[in-house]
This record gives sequence, C-alpha cells and structure tokens, in this order.
Amino acid sequence: MFRFLPEQASTFAADVDWIHNWITDISVFFTVAIFGAAILFAIIWRRREGKDHATPQILGDHKLEAIWTIVPTLICVFVAVKGLVSYQDMRTPPANTLDISVTAEQFNWSFEYPNGKKTTNDITVPVGHPVKFIMRSKDVIHSFFIPAMRVKKDVLPSMFTTLWFEPIKTGSYQGFCTEYCGAGHSAMLFKVNVVSDAEYDRWLTDDSTEFMKSKMNAEDLGRALYEQKTCNTCHSIDGSMRIGPSFAKLWNKKEKLVDGTEVLVDENYIESSIVNPNAQVVAGYAPIMPSFEGQLSVDEIKALIAFIKGLEKTEVAPVAAVQAVAVAPVDRSKLKPEERGKILSQEKLCISCHSIDGSKVIGPSFKGIYGRKGKLVGGADYEVTDEYIKESILNPMAKVVDGYAPAMPPYAGQLSDDDINDIIAYLKTVK
Amino acid sequence: MSTAASTAPEVKKNYLNDHTGIWSWIYTLDHKRIGIMYLVSLFTFFFIAGLIALTMRYELMHAGASGLLTPKQYNVAFTLHGAMMVFLFIVPGIPATLGNFLLPLMIGAKDVAFPRMNLLSYYIYIVGAIMALVALLNPIDTGWTFYTPYSIQTGQGVVLMTAAAFVLGFSSILTGLNFIVTIHKLRAPGMHWMRLPLFVWATYATAGIQVLATPVVGINLLLLIMERTMGIGIFDPKLGGDPVLFQHLFWFYSHPVVYIMILPAFGIIGEIIPVFSRKPIFGYKAVVIASFSLALLGFFVWAHHMFVSGISDFSAATFSIITFGVAIPTAVKVFNWVSTMYRGSIRLDTPMLYAISFIFIFMVAGTTGIYLATLGVDVFYHDTYFVVAHFHYTMQGGAVIGLIAGLHFWFPKMSGKMYNEHIAKIGFVLVFIGFNLTFIPQFVLGMHGMPRRYFDYPPEFESLHFVSTIGAFMNGLGYAMAIFNLALTGLFGKVKAPRNPYDSLSLEWQTDSPPIHDNFETTPIITEWTYGYGTPVRDGTHH
Repeated sequence: MFRFLPEQASTFAADVDWIHNWITDISVFFTVAIFGAAILFAIIWRRREGKDHATPQILGDHKLEAIWTIVPTLICVFVAVKGLVSYQDMRTPPANTLDISVTAEQFNWSFEYPNGKKTTNDITVPVGHPVKFIMRSKDVIHSFFIPAMRVKKDVLPSMFTTLWFEPIKTGSYQGFCTEYCGAGHSAMLFKVNVVSDAEYDRWLTDDSTEFMKSKMNAEDLGRALYEQKTCNTCHSIDGSMRIGPSFAKLWNKKEKLVDGTEVLVDENYIESSIVNPNAQVVAGYAPIMPSFEGQLSVDEIKALIAFIKGLEKTEVAPVAAVQAVAVAPVDRSKLKPEERGKILSQEKLCISCHSIDGSKVIGPSFKGIYGRKGKLVGGADYEVTDEYIKESILNPMAKVVDGYAPAMPPYAGQLSDDDINDIIAYLKTVK
Repeated sequence: MSTAASTAPEVKKNYLNDHTGIWSWIYTLDHKRIGIMYLVSLFTFFFIAGLIALTMRYELMHAGASGLLTPKQYNVAFTLHGAMMVFLFIVPGIPATLGNFLLPLMIGAKDVAFPRMNLLSYYIYIVGAIMALVALLNPIDTGWTFYTPYSIQTGQGVVLMTAAAFVLGFSSILTGLNFIVTIHKLRAPGMHWMRLPLFVWATYATAGIQVLATPVVGINLLLLIMERTMGIGIFDPKLGGDPVLFQHLFWFYSHPVVYIMILPAFGIIGEIIPVFSRKPIFGYKAVVIASFSLALLGFFVWAHHMFVSGISDFSAATFSIITFGVAIPTAVKVFNWVSTMYRGSIRLDTPMLYAISFIFIFMVAGTTGIYLATLGVDVFYHDTYFVVAHFHYTMQGGAVIGLIAGLHFWFPKMSGKMYNEHIAKIGFVLVFIGFNLTFIPQFVLGMHGMPRRYFDYPPEFESLHFVSTIGAFMNGLGYAMAIFNLALTGLFGKVKAPRNPYDSLSLEWQTDSPPIHDNFETTPIITEWTYGYGTPVRDGTHH
C-alpha cells in the first residue's frame, strides 16, 4: 500500500525502502484499526432520538494501558534500529570511491573529477562503483539530493560535507537543491547520468581538456573549447550576427568600443574579454557576457587565442550569401505584409533569439506574442502592441521583459518603418 | 447591550455588558475579555496568512509560472505565510485565547493571578505583531526559519523579525508565568490536582515550555545583533561563524514551540470526548503524564530538524532515538481518547465531529512523524513535501482544528448564544475533506522526491499539485464558513445559550452563559472529579 518511492538506483535504496514500507504498513494498520474503532464506537453507541442512554463509568484499565505503551515502544525500538543501520551505511563510504568535488553556489552546481574534468549541473558516474562527493558551498547553504539514490546532504559554506552512493542501474536521474537558497532555488537542478564502465572511461577522457591537450594542437583545442564552454551560443565563426561579435576575421582588427575609444584585438584584449568581459565592450553590443575567470587555465586561454587567430585565415562565407540560401529571390512587393515580415525575421536573425514554437531562448518567444501582457524588469506592466514592438526593435533596452537579460542590439537605421510594420503584421500571425 | 438592559431590566449582567464602550475593552483586566481580544487579533492574522497560502497554492496549481507571482514574490509569500501563522497565530494560539478565557473558570477562580500582567502580555503581543509585519513587508524571503547565511545576505529585515519574535516571546513568557501561578494559587477549595480538567493540565505543561524555551530566541537575537552591528562572527562563515549554530539555537526554541501549539489542542480534545460520550476520560493519570512527558521530551529532540545539516553522526543517532520517545505518549493519548468513546452515549454535535476527525488527523501526523524520526528514511524525506504535509497535519490538523473544535464547544459559554449547527457541520465537512485533499497529495509528492519551497516543479508532479490546490480552496472555504458562522451568530444571533447546553460536569459550565465579571456568584466548592460521567461499575473503578 502507498508505494510511491522513486526507482531504486543505489545500493541504499532497497534498505531504506524496506524500513520505509514497513513503517507504512504498520501505520496504515494502526490508523485504520484505531480510527476505525472510533468510527465504529460512534455508530454503535451513538445517542438515539436525542436521548442519552446509560453509560458505564469506566475509569481505565492498567493492563490495557500497559499493552498500548509497551507495543508502540517495541515497534519504535525496531524502527529506530533499522533506521540507524541504514544511516550508518550511508555514512560509511568504502575505501575505493571515485571522489568528485562539488561546489554549490546560487544557483548552480559545479563538479570536478580527479583528472581535472569539470562539469556544470551534470554528473556522469560509472555503474557499480562507489562514488563520493566532497561538497562545499561558495555562498549560502544548499542541499544535494538525488531521490533515486536516496541520498541527501547539506552543502555548507563553513565546512566540507560528504556523501556517497553506489549506483546499481544505468540511466539518467534528477537531482535537486533541497535547502532553500533564494530566488533561483527551484531551478537549481542537476542530472546524474549513470553509465557503463566503458562509456564512463570514454566520457571521462574524450572531451577532457587533459586528454585534448596531449593530443591536439592549440588551435584544435581552442575550437573544442569554443563549443564546450558554449562560446558558440553568442559568437559565430562565420561572420553571422549573434549576441556578441563574430570571431571571424576578428584577430588584429581595430574595434570601436561603446565609450568611443578603439582597441586592437590582440592576445591581451582576448584574455581580458574572457576574464573581465564587460570592461571593454564593442560598440553596438550589450555588456552581458559572464566572466570565465577561474574556469579556464592559461593554456586554455592560449588555445582560444590560437583558435581566433586561425579564423583570420579562414575564408568565411559572406553574410549575404548565407541569407541568400535562406530567402528565395522573389519580388517582395507582391507578397503580403506578414510574409515580408517573416522573411525579415529570418534575414535579421530575430529568430535566433526569439523562438516561434514557444520555447525560451535568449529573448521572449514570438509565439502568441502580440497582445501578451506581463511584467517588465523593474515591475511595470506591459502589453505587446504595435507601439511596443516598434520601440522594442528600435530601442530594445527601454523595456525589457522580466526574466530576460537586456541583450538585444538596437535595429535603428537597419529597418525602415515599412519593414517594421511588416514584422508587426507577421508577429500577429505567430500563434 | 446597555439598551437591552434598560428595556429588559431582568437581563443579568455579564462580562460583556457590565461595562460598555471601546475603553472598557482597551483597559480591561478581565481574563475573558482579554481572551476575546486575543481571539479577534489572532484570527485576523490567520485570515491574512490563509489568503497568502491560497495565493501560493494557486501559483503551484500548474507546472510553470502562472503569471500571478514571480519566483521572488513566491518566496516572500511562503515566508509571510509561515512566519505569520507560527509567530502571530499558532504560538499564542490556544493558551492566549481559550486558555485565557477558560483557565480561571475551570479552576473556580475570579481571574488569573496577575490580571494587569495579562493585559500587558496582550499589548506586548500587539507591539510584536506590528514589528513582525513591518519586518515581513520589507520584504523578507528567507522562509520562516531565517537560516543563515542566506538571511544575512538578503537584507536587514531579519534582525527586526527576530526582534519581533523576541518581543512576542515576552508575551508568551508572561502568559505562561501567569498561568503557572494561577493554577498553583487560585484553585477553588476542593479543586485538587487530580481533579483538574485535562485542558488545565495541558495549559500547565504548555506554560512550562513557554517560560523555559522562549528565552532562547532572545539569545539568538542578541547574537544576531552582535554579529550585524559589531561584526563578531557567530553565524556568518565570512566572519568565521558557523551557520549550523543558528539552526541549533533556532530549533532549540522552535521545536518545543511545536508542543506549545499542540498540547493545548490535546487538552481540548480531552475535554470534548468525555462530555460528548458521557464517559469519564479513560486513564486520566496516563493522559496527564503523557502531556508532561511530551513537554519534557520536546526539549531534547530539536536536532531531528538537522539530520542532514552536517551535525555529527553520533548527534544524529542520539536525537533520532529521543525523537522516537515522542511517539509513545502521543500513542497513549490517542488510545485513551478512543477508549473513552467505548460504550458511551455519543452525541455527534460539531465539537465532537471535530474531535473525532482530530483522532484521524493526529494518527496521520504521528505515524508520518515516525518516518522522519527514522534516520535513513529522513535523509530521503528531509525538506521534501512529505515534511510540509507532516507538519501541516500537526500544526493545522492538530493545533488549528483543535482550536476550532474548542471554539465551537465553548462558544455558548463565551457568547451566550448558540451557533447555527447546520452551517457549522457543513463547515466541518469542508474543512475535513479539504484539509486531507490538500495534504495527502503532498505526502505522495514527498514520496516522489519533490523538494519544498519550489516556485516551479517538473511537469510530472502537476496532477498532485492540482488536487492539492483544489483541496486548499475547499479547506479555506470551510474555515471561512466555520468562523463566520461563529462570529455572526455571536454578534447578531438570537438563540440564547443555556448555562450548560452539553451537560458537562466541568466547572466553567456551572456558571452563567456568558459568565459574570467575577465568573461565579460565590466561590465554588468542589467535591467531585471533573469527569464523573456514567454509572459507577465494579470493574475499572481505579483511576
């Protein structure tokens, strides 16, 4: 009865579940028996027709009272001991554990493997091997919880705490932060991937920077890092426009900055842009890049520099050519406004940040956007009207929807009023 | 009421009409009036905190953001709900309201031992409540537990809030002290210790906790202030402090507080069941001993809130074992209540319906506590919805439903009117079904591993959250019906209550409804035990 616990994915699970289910059965039995007795008494001896019947003055019964003191005591002793034993197992890791270092901070989890491999919000462990986590928080208290493994431990800023388990089943399991830590608490999730030994070895070495460093030249390592550290989300290598400047033909270029000064893209500029990205922001871009300080070694920064340097030589397809593939050469004046708007939304790459299927990318989805109401950063209300869309295109920082970063570049001077009206017509159709 | 007195001179004076006007309430030293003032204040906060709970349940009804609250606002909402319910409603709860009203009546006294201190405790409560509201509306988003170092990081409000808890604590200490002295010194002739009603015993045990545990919150406040103003590292790891120490001090007060909330509710159930079964309470002494065992054990179990906090394994084991000790007196109480109904003449009026439902709810509250005392299992359940459901079964299902049961039971005495029995019964059905519909799904959510204090959740949890929200609104509607029924019939009702509508043997029913200012015309002399219902039999005559 009431068997709702998650699947058993660690060696502890069976023990914990056994005592859990035993408590359930005994609890259900006693609850039904005792409350059933109360209901039964209330039915059998209820007062009829508004008249009391005679009742015996029973004051107590020592024998009965002794029984219902001793029986619960025995049950409690049994459950307490079983609980202690299962806890003892959780607190006694074997000697041969795979040790993973865990750093929690508002609101993500960083993991580091013995070979230096680092991951975020994602753990891969081999099935059948005990794994131990050595945990520390950078800020407030968090708690590391994997239901399928039946383990949980608080992660403190003041001392290290540890936790171990031995996974017995391959699969992907959800992990949660269970100590309330602030606004992003409910999004502080992680995944535990339990894989076979062979797969684990491949995973551990395949894209590990140690492994790559030994096999790759600096430029290739830089290319791998470009994807692994998700630089590619915001920086293209083919000249196309994303959130940040493209890496294509970037090397040795003189860039104009938001404060009007110029800077030469050299080793030091690239390094400072990685470590302290918002100090020297290129004109036309928002200061939104997170710092990668401490996440990249000097060798890795060197590799990224080599990679960007290499892109100077690469023949990149001109932007226009990319667009030509996407958009068939038609006489646009013959199209309906919403069709022209749709083509514009692809040409201007709106859809790289605004999905049309409702999924959350960088900006709010276009799906059902027209007429949408909600809150802006700062708490004011907004409603998506013609005016609102126009303003958001020409001056996107003026009104930013709550929950999104002020990341969109302004399109003033790049789109005519007619273009904007076409886009508005198109947006009305995205439902 | 003065007009009623002038047109109908035969109307007797009582505590409600002997003095009139707002000042007669503001300056009153009458324990009955102070009890009523507490009642109105407490239920105001209960109403607000309840609406906040419904707002949260609405947000959680479907996976994803509802658009009603942002994550930050949701976090503020659960902080407001928890802090107001705990500090402004359930902790003062039954002792301040029914305790104040009934205790002197039950022991045959004219008032409590220190009537002025009693009024002072009320105004201290009001000051503390205002401080708490100011602090909470800052707003605080720490949860009612104020765990460091998050509470240090998130703003200054937490110091004011702890200061409010400190002030509210004094109200609690003064009430406790007053009750202890009253019970020792003001019992009417013949009211021996072993003749005391169980509600008095429960209030007495509670008063002990109030006086002993509450000062620890004061210590916590002083340490927090020292840290914030002088930079002495106590809880903040940046200053070399230990955040786990805060949890120890917090729970050293906040666990015994659970028994401040629940023991008086046990007392109420112990009063209602004998009267409506026409039977003496089964095992009177055992029930009294159980109350004191719980009050005592309550001091030594606080770290069961901290099994995964980083305390030593030895501490965890010790606190687990002591926690199991709580189960035994609780079980004894439940067994004794049910046995009291055996061969009774059971009247299923509203107070008894609540009392019987209390037995079920407390069985669930108690048995789910067993899981949480069991170390290996608590590691899984800690900070999940299972814990949320468990403590709502004790706090709401226990303390609040106990209070509502008691309010219905003593309403005729307090107001001199009878409430509408039909509406009260509909209210009861809504409360009982709504309550279980709210929290049984939350037990299941906990079994699935759903953590608490989550603004959003994975979509597979949606159906259970949906049912829980429906239950919460039903529960809210039930409380609204029950409370408005009492409030409106109390103010405008026409049906006068007799002295003793339920034929109770307890002393408070032997005087007028509502009682006169001095409670009794002459000091009563007690010759019998409070629970002498039924016909004496040869077997089982010991007690």
